[in-house]
Amino acid sequence: MGYSRVHANVREYDVFARKARVEPLRQVGSVVAPDDDLAMAYARATYDEERWVEMMIVPRDAVIRLWAPGESES
Amino acid sequence: MGSGRVGELSLYSLVKSLADNKQLLGMRYAEWCIAAPSLEADIAAAAMGLDDIGHSRVLYGSLRELGTPDGIDESSYANVPYLDKPWTDWAQFVAANAVLDSAFTLMIEALANGNVEVLRSRLKKMLQEERYHFLHGRSWMREAKAPPAIDRAWRESLEWIGPEGADVDELHRDGRLAFDVRELRRLLAERVESTAPPAEIDWAKWDRIRRRTEPGGIDQATLEMLQGLAEKRYMPVSS
Repeated sequence: MGYSRVHANVREYDVFARKARVEPLRQVGSVVAPDDDLAMAYARATYDEERWVEMMIVPRDAVIRLWAPGESES
Repeated sequence: MGSGRVGELSLYSLVKSLADNKQLLGMRYAEWCIAAPSLEADIAAAAMGLDDIGHSRVLYGSLRELGTPDGIDESSYANVPYLDKPWTDWAQFVAANAVLDSAFTLMIEALANGNVEVLRSRLKKMLQEERYHFLHGRSWMREAKAPPAIDRAWRESLEWIGPEGADVDELHRDGRLAFDVRELRRLLAERVESTAPPAEIDWAKWDRIRRRTEPGGIDQATLEMLQGLAEKRYMPVSS
């Protein structure tokens, strides 16, 4: 077969959306994909059940974490 | 009967074929909703299947405003051979998703930007949804490397668009379609980032209603599924 069952190199993407302009964006889930194109297609297919006015995806490795649960702020 | 009437009949046939292909494509996508290579791809197959079945309903619904179906056997499906039978390999899914679906989308674009008001108003939303089919197909095509399936999808897309100087070019001259055959071919190559494989199409064998050169058609199981006959046998017998 000319394809691998699981992609060789994948990135994780977090999916953010909101239902109204006045609402803040919130994280609605995540997808795993080898590139941005497929991540967009997967995010739309997986999280399309609501009438979102906006949806966006962010590669998780682009997020800069300041602290995590259980860690202190300082 | 003026030339406008001839154009109307051709447009009817073209949109009917588009609707038939969309319905079958949606069904073939949906058949992979538990068989794709990953959970995300399963969900995408199901979602794209629903999209295309929805698109076919809108297209069928527009037909009655496009003239009369003279000369067309309403019960026969005017679909490409690629959709006659279920696919047995994910590579076939990918090639259909990347190439055939894009060819159908380009025709929808040509209709949505033509001068037929009912199509201008109803088809625009499909193009938004189709963007994700295209992204899905193109990305998988980079990975899946499926030359035989892609060559076949290419060839059947070209057959479906049809020969130069036939109905599509005529509809373009009348302003009903925004693109002619040459533009459709060029845009398809641009979109799928590949060129058509060198293949001679024997246009003498081209069926202008079904938009294909190969005889045959959908198998009985597919027909029964589409007509809901497969499920009817489970319905309780009414007294």
